Amino acid sequence: MFRETAARVNRQFAMRRKTAAVRSSPERVLPAPRGRGLKNRPWQDYALFLVLVVPNLVLLTLFVYRPLADNIRLSFTDWNIADPVATPIGFDNYVEWWGREDSWKVVSNTVIFTVAAVAVSMALGLALALLLDRKLFGRNVVRSAIFAPFVISGAAIGVAFQFIFDPSFGLVQDVLHRLGVDKVPDFYQDPHWALFMVTITYIWKNLGYTFVIYLAALQGVRAELLEAAEMDGASRWTTFTKVLLPQLRPTTFFLSITVLLNSLQVFDIINVMTRGGPLGNGTTTMVFQVYEESFRNFRAGYGATVATIMFVVLLVVTLIQVRVMDRGDR
Amino acid sequence: MSSQRFPALSRRGFLGLTGAAAAGLALTACAGTGGGSGDGGDAKTITFWSNHPGTSKELELELINRFQAKYPDLTVNLVDAGKNYEEVAQKFNAALTGGDLPDVVVLSDVWWFNYALTKAIEPLDSHFGAAGVQLGDYVDSLAADYLFDGKHYALPYARSTPLFYYNKDVWAKAGLPDRGPNSWQEFDEWGPKLQSVVGADKFAHAWGDAKNYLGWTFQGPNWTFGGAYSDQWKLKFTDPGSIAAATYLRDSINVKKYAAIRPQIAVDFGTGVAASTIASTGDLKGIKKNADGKFEVGTAFLPHPNGPGVTTGGAGLAIPSRISDARKTNALKFIEFVTNAANTAYFSQNTGYMPVRKSAATDPSEVDFLAKNPNSKVAIDQLSVTKSQDYARVFVPGADQIIGTGYEQIGLQNADPATVLAKVAADVQAIIDRQITPKLPK
Amino acid sequence: MKHVGPQTLSYRRRERAVTALGYAAMACVLILVGVPLFWILITSLKDRADIYTQPAVYWPHSWHPENYGEATTTVPFWTFLRNSLIVTGVVSAVKFALGVFSAYGLVFLRFPGKNIVFLVIIAALMVPNQITVISNYALIAQLGWRNTFQGIIIPLCGVAFGTFLMRNHFLSLPGEVIEAARMDGANWWRLLTRVVLPMSGPTMVAFAVVTLVNEWNEYLWPFLMADSAEVATLPVGLTLLQNTENPSVTNWGPVMAGTVLTMLPILIVFLALQRHMIKGLTSGAVKG
Repeated sequence: MFRETAARVNRQFAMRRKTAAVRSSPERVLPAPRGRGLKNRPWQDYALFLVLVVPNLVLLTLFVYRPLADNIRLSFTDWNIADPVATPIGFDNYVEWWGREDSWKVVSNTVIFTVAAVAVSMALGLALALLLDRKLFGRNVVRSAIFAPFVISGAAIGVAFQFIFDPSFGLVQDVLHRLGVDKVPDFYQDPHWALFMVTITYIWKNLGYTFVIYLAALQGVRAELLEAAEMDGASRWTTFTKVLLPQLRPTTFFLSITVLLNSLQVFDIINVMTRGGPLGNGTTTMVFQVYEESFRNFRAGYGATVATIMFVVLLVVTLIQVRVMDRGDR
Repeated sequence: MSSQRFPALSRRGFLGLTGAAAAGLALTACAGTGGGSGDGGDAKTITFWSNHPGTSKELELELINRFQAKYPDLTVNLVDAGKNYEEVAQKFNAALTGGDLPDVVVLSDVWWFNYALTKAIEPLDSHFGAAGVQLGDYVDSLAADYLFDGKHYALPYARSTPLFYYNKDVWAKAGLPDRGPNSWQEFDEWGPKLQSVVGADKFAHAWGDAKNYLGWTFQGPNWTFGGAYSDQWKLKFTDPGSIAAATYLRDSINVKKYAAIRPQIAVDFGTGVAASTIASTGDLKGIKKNADGKFEVGTAFLPHPNGPGVTTGGAGLAIPSRISDARKTNALKFIEFVTNAANTAYFSQNTGYMPVRKSAATDPSEVDFLAKNPNSKVAIDQLSVTKSQDYARVFVPGADQIIGTGYEQIGLQNADPATVLAKVAADVQAIIDRQITPKLPK
Repeated sequence: MKHVGPQTLSYRRRERAVTALGYAAMACVLILVGVPLFWILITSLKDRADIYTQPAVYWPHSWHPENYGEATTTVPFWTFLRNSLIVTGVVSAVKFALGVFSAYGLVFLRFPGKNIVFLVIIAALMVPNQITVISNYALIAQLGWRNTFQGIIIPLCGVAFGTFLMRNHFLSLPGEVIEAARMDGANWWRLLTRVVLPMSGPTMVAFAVVTLVNEWNEYLWPFLMADSAEVATLPVGLTLLQNTENPSVTNWGPVMAGTVLTMLPILIVFLALQRHMIKGLTSGAVKG
């Protein structure tokens, strides 16, 4: 019986307000502007669009895309960053990247780190937002406390957590010892634990971000729909999955992209805590490798190659994400 | 159901994308790399990029005041160039590609060579006369560290050597003489005794990990076993001596279990977790502060039973080559001044680095200081048994981490020294072949 | 959420249990999030001896608030703070405006290929910092803007995240309201400020705080651009407290004090703004 209700509720909802998602043509949701003369003069619209959007585009082109294009050009050269001359070498860098075994270790580190960061920080962020949406005493303070880690800079967090995970003076080893654990994992010397350590540190920092975005989205959730479902006798879990989550789909989509892209660019935490080690590349992610190759090994051409590969993969992954979310919509 | 898929491939979209790409490429032509022909720039203002090694910003400001008092027509501009040597190099890299080069820049042992090889920093010898530099007064080994192709590319500034720090209280409890070990073999006998004194969860000796320059500190010990990273450009990682040294390291950690590789050795030592360690003399002040009131800190030479047993380290001052000659001369005058006898004495007394001039030994304040601080004297006396670092570590970009990682594997994972060192040698050789040999002067 | 049906005893009990669970969960979260925060705070008040000690010290043996004094006097803290306020304030304001305008254009106006434009904008999120700095350095140096405020500010002003966020939100606004406003003859500015933005309160707050945080903590670019304390921002300037070769001899007390001081302004802003994240702001013109 509930399924009928859910269907009815969702239809009502869709009728009143189209389920939000990234739409290809918002004209279907938000009707094209009509009124005095505008229907026949779309050029006013075009001009206004240019005025509103072009300044941002110019800034992004100048300071993000120009360097990106430069970077792609550099990936086809051999360039010692201290040298004024970059020697073109065609695809050699790419061939080298493909053949090196550490490339795959770096990729796997990146994937593990990113997937864990995205999944955990989104799930926890949603849970926390739901928790702190209700009128609980002291929620303002708790909200600020959850957001506080996000406010601290990555470098400072790296330093703090370096102490926290220290095998002799750290918080973690102290707590574990009190809990009776004998063999505390060696966070700095075992590559798997080191990756775990930096991932946890990043998730801790990033919780505030997913939390705040979900919190904002929850303010727009239609409470009456949730009430209607509950009135029809739906269990909390079903209400959650069939009524609440769909309304949050656009936010989930937004977060899945931005958290993914953010976590791929983590640098400070890794640089401060493990410097990419232990054992060479235990916690090296692709972004870290770009830095290391360009600035420490003086092979800016190869670093540019890794960066370009990363960019292309990201572009493809994001396009896929967009398509999937779009298709999933009714 | 949205019938309009994401129109990434519609014709209009495609044209748009191409247009954007073309525009982007055009823009890159405008502001590409390879700028930085900073020929201009005021010759009377000297811009000094420093990371204030040893928290020396106040000291540097004082040195600048003294300089400006002596040369009233020159001004010095002290720039905070980062929190460590690496950040200074990063900033310098950016300036090399983009412009606004400094006059004087602090470059450490692993950074200067690449700039010399790419001719980004100036060989100083031809300017010595104009700036009044007396090369002979610089401590020979310290100045020789910056020799390449017969020319000096920097002058020593904040120089250190590793010291053997030991916990005198623990030494006494273990019944050992109040001195450092005379050889690593002797320490191999002391190790288990010390370990039984310190007990579980503590160590007789702590080595830094790769991130904390294990590649640097192990160089000296490696030499005492007859090994080396390299002899000039010839790699020697797989020599029997090197393998013997690596075996010693592995066994002391995994078999006899009195040593360990740790992420924060100065902290470990200062709090009694490690009874001894090798760390820079630049850390002396900090280590003493950590140990204050807990135990007495002893310093000793690293073991050197048969010749040099220890390297030097730290940073020197260099001058970019793409600035005008007038700027270069003034820059060198500044370098000469801040490293003269009185000033290097002042600097070293307040940081823990070593004085870089021979004549500083007779400077009255220095004599006085060393009499009161015997631990500081150890580093200076040790200079006579130091040797310049192996090319493989300092001249090959990225080699320091490769070497340190190799020793980490041997120590932490009980790996076979011969296999690991063979791989290290192969990796380092690959870098040399690819990046260095083509650029070496024939 | 009001319950309209009969309020049975079991229902009331269930509600109480859920609320209690809510408080328990909140406490758990507070612990996990709070303990490292507590550690940072407490270290900033510790004497050096208490930092480098084993076992770990949770409650300092002697309080050392002088760390704060040291952090603010041994380095030109207030100058750095002023610079940070200027840079963050200007960049955030510009980004906010540009983000809102761009999102408006992408959602409410017609333009051929505007979805390509959108894709192009979010592709900017895929380009990491390390790639852009060298190239931008060259451009800014050529313009002679190194070590100036405009040199630091301008390259940071392009906004992709905010555009994405606001566009997402604008798309979810009820079409009838927009149409009604247009029928009333509202021009774009009226539509934006009188209708759209008032329905976007919480999302605007989220946009604002996230942007503020990111710009406040920006390190690499201000580091490369600034040569003197005149323009150096707080994250860059505070590293002066760490100028040692070996991090394990740094005195972390003042460094942590600096971290806490850096954190405070943004937290205060967040505390103030997050009050606006309450239901009711978006109920707008469409009632159930």
